[in-house]
Amino acid sequence: MEEKTIRKDNLMSLLADLTGSCQVLAPVRKGNSIVFEEILTGDEIHLSEYNTRKSVKEVFFPQRERLFAYRGQETREPSPPDKERIVFGVRPCDARSLSLLDFVFDGEDFKDPYYCSKRDNTTVIAIGCSRPMRTCFCTDTGGDPFSLEGADVLLIDMGETYFVLPVTQRGEGFLQGKSGFERAEQDQIQRKEEIIEKARESVGSDLNIERIKSVLDSDFDNPLWETVHEKCLGCGVCTFLCPTCHCFDILDEGDSNQGERIRIWDSCMFPLFTLHASGTNPRPGGKERMRQRILHKFKYFVDNHNRVACTGCGRCIRACPVNLDIREVLEDIQNPE
Amino acid sequence: MGDSSKQIREAARKLFEENKVDLIIGFEDGSLPLRATPCFIRRGEDAERLVWNSFCENNLATYLPKKKGKTGIVAKGCDSRSIVGFLKEKQIERENLVIIGVPCEGMIDRKAVEERLGEREILSVEEGPEEIVVKGTDYEEKMKKEDLLPESCRICTHRNPVLYDVLIGEALEEQKVADPFELIREFEGRTAEERWAYFCGETEKCIRCYACRNACPICYCEACYVDSSEPQWFGKSIESTDTMIFHIVRAFHTTGRCVDCGACIRACPMDVDLRFLNKKIEKDVLELFSFEAGEDPDEPPPLTTYKQDDPEEFIK
Amino acid sequence: MEMHEALQASWEPKIVAFLCNWCSYAGADLAGVGRIQYPPNTRTIRVPCSGRVNPLFILRALQNGADGVLVSGCHPGDCHYLSGNYAARRRFAVFSRLLEYVGIEKGRLHFSWVSAAEAGRFAEVITEVTEEVRKLGPAKRLVKKKVE
Repeated sequence: MEEKTIRKDNLMSLLADLTGSCQVLAPVRKGNSIVFEEILTGDEIHLSEYNTRKSVKEVFFPQRERLFAYRGQETREPSPPDKERIVFGVRPCDARSLSLLDFVFDGEDFKDPYYCSKRDNTTVIAIGCSRPMRTCFCTDTGGDPFSLEGADVLLIDMGETYFVLPVTQRGEGFLQGKSGFERAEQDQIQRKEEIIEKARESVGSDLNIERIKSVLDSDFDNPLWETVHEKCLGCGVCTFLCPTCHCFDILDEGDSNQGERIRIWDSCMFPLFTLHASGTNPRPGGKERMRQRILHKFKYFVDNHNRVACTGCGRCIRACPVNLDIREVLEDIQNPE
Repeated sequence: MGDSSKQIREAARKLFEENKVDLIIGFEDGSLPLRATPCFIRRGEDAERLVWNSFCENNLATYLPKKKGKTGIVAKGCDSRSIVGFLKEKQIERENLVIIGVPCEGMIDRKAVEERLGEREILSVEEGPEEIVVKGTDYEEKMKKEDLLPESCRICTHRNPVLYDVLIGEALEEQKVADPFELIREFEGRTAEERWAYFCGETEKCIRCYACRNACPICYCEACYVDSSEPQWFGKSIESTDTMIFHIVRAFHTTGRCVDCGACIRACPMDVDLRFLNKKIEKDVLELFSFEAGEDPDEPPPLTTYKQDDPEEFIK
Repeated sequence: MEMHEALQASWEPKIVAFLCNWCSYAGADLAGVGRIQYPPNTRTIRVPCSGRVNPLFILRALQNGADGVLVSGCHPGDCHYLSGNYAARRRFAVFSRLLEYVGIEKGRLHFSWVSAAEAGRFAEVITEVTEEVRKLGPAKRLVKKKVE
């Protein structure tokens, strides 16, 4: 697919124009956070060194989603989305997370219609990470500041312009017939390569998780689990901000006349997680739950899909109220003192 | 500050040597700038890890309920008042606790630092007696610590621990704060519509992660009302009225128990203003019942007692 | 849609009243026996004591669309369980201030002491509460939307 460039101001106008016919979502500043929201004029878009507070997963897997509603004897399912959607300003770590979530919600055996209908009508425009943060470790989890995975189009910031790499058919289709896109010149291609190289080098993480799977495979009763969880408060910050965490609960809300069945995010950190109706809980405390979190991401998902369920975005590290650093946990598990 | 770290380490080593504790909960250096992180040590050799600085923001008392054996804990003023609350509510035994009290001049509000820097990443921070020096890839800035205090530290009148077995360093002079409830009074003066709009705006940000509840020491119920299913009091999703009820009730459950340590507001990943509720209740409890939380372990909690002449002007 | 509009035009306040069994509920019963007229807008929930009333009851009532809530118990000193109403008094002093503070209109939440002999007083309280709530209009804050 042909590489192109576009001036940043032209892209912004294009996105603003598209709000007429599509739903355009982009990072928007809300108080102290940056979150993905629908934009109307394009002026709301806020791109920065910091990743969005909440990940892009909520665009496809909302925190609260109606599965169906009922009133009297009638049930009603949500209507399929009527507008095409574009989500702009997604970092490669978040775009990658979508391909990981696809294993769960758009897998071979089962396709979740709510997730799939959103995935199928959304174009993901990612922006490569020219300035990875200190808390980033995407390269250790199989990712890259300029990874193409999960994106339909990847943009690379070149100052006044973006370098434009269409990745999928859908991405190619997005560029069709839209003004402002020019063919990339050789010197621009050169610059792009330099930017990518520099960014890759600057991912400062020296975490190495090559052995994590084999360690986790063999040592379920590792005494380290007793202490690794101790400072964890058991809240849901890490799981909710994580782009790949996907546990959910299904609840019915309403009465005999009307109501709805909804799906909401759940967390392995919460006390009701795996609580059986009998009252027993195979994961009664923080130790078991922390072990479960690490095993899920770095062993079970690998067993099932050959991929680590972590994209190294670093949100959990920055947001954890007690500074429990997953990188330290992974280090300690692999290299006990 | 550096001296405090040394003294805390010495105190910890001594406690292990004299077999007075099985575990000490303190702080060690965090993995990020501006962070210290809770640490749990069980041997004298590990005392080296303990630090004390202006990043020791967590309330470690939250780890105390259900701790078995003898536990040492590094406690600031607010933390020690939480411990008083536990004693009052019989969640821990005084004989099983060794409190390493540390007079505190306030903990830096990370969000205040981030705000001042715009969105430039912080790569390192050096702390001096009055200032911190914050460095990034292409900047270096000095900031006065006293300008970086969150509200709960700014109006703190309990910088010295109210209860301790070992005191680190010298006691500090307590601040005189004219009106700790100034912001609450200002809020009370707004119209109902304005207050409702503020409440809606804040709770809209909430993602029901329960970081506030879990960081709060006094929220130690094993079966929280949030998880009640027989009956389910209110919904578990982020629907607006459900979220509002969560916050109203959690604040209400801290009546006469919250010591304004600020752990909740620091833990919140979405910057929800939680203090505006808790502080209001603290003010009312003081006005209605002349009661202050975290002072006297023998004073009964205000909602468990009554006086014949309790205020009842709101009752027809 | 027509039904909705019709309902709006003829809106009557829905008030949930938690009445303690020994005093206020008995007082209400006495009002009934005496055929004392009072507005019919109240749905009564009998509780053993005003001290039984959990603030979550009040919030649930409001969330489910109650326009007003009344909690009524024995006069201080007369509680059948000795001190239940004292506990309620303290609890609701704090809670009522908190609800008003977050912006719930002052006239939505009411408290009273009505004894078993005070039939007339009960009717008065209900009338007062109904009128205050009527003036405020249908509750909109804290009401959870029902499925259309």
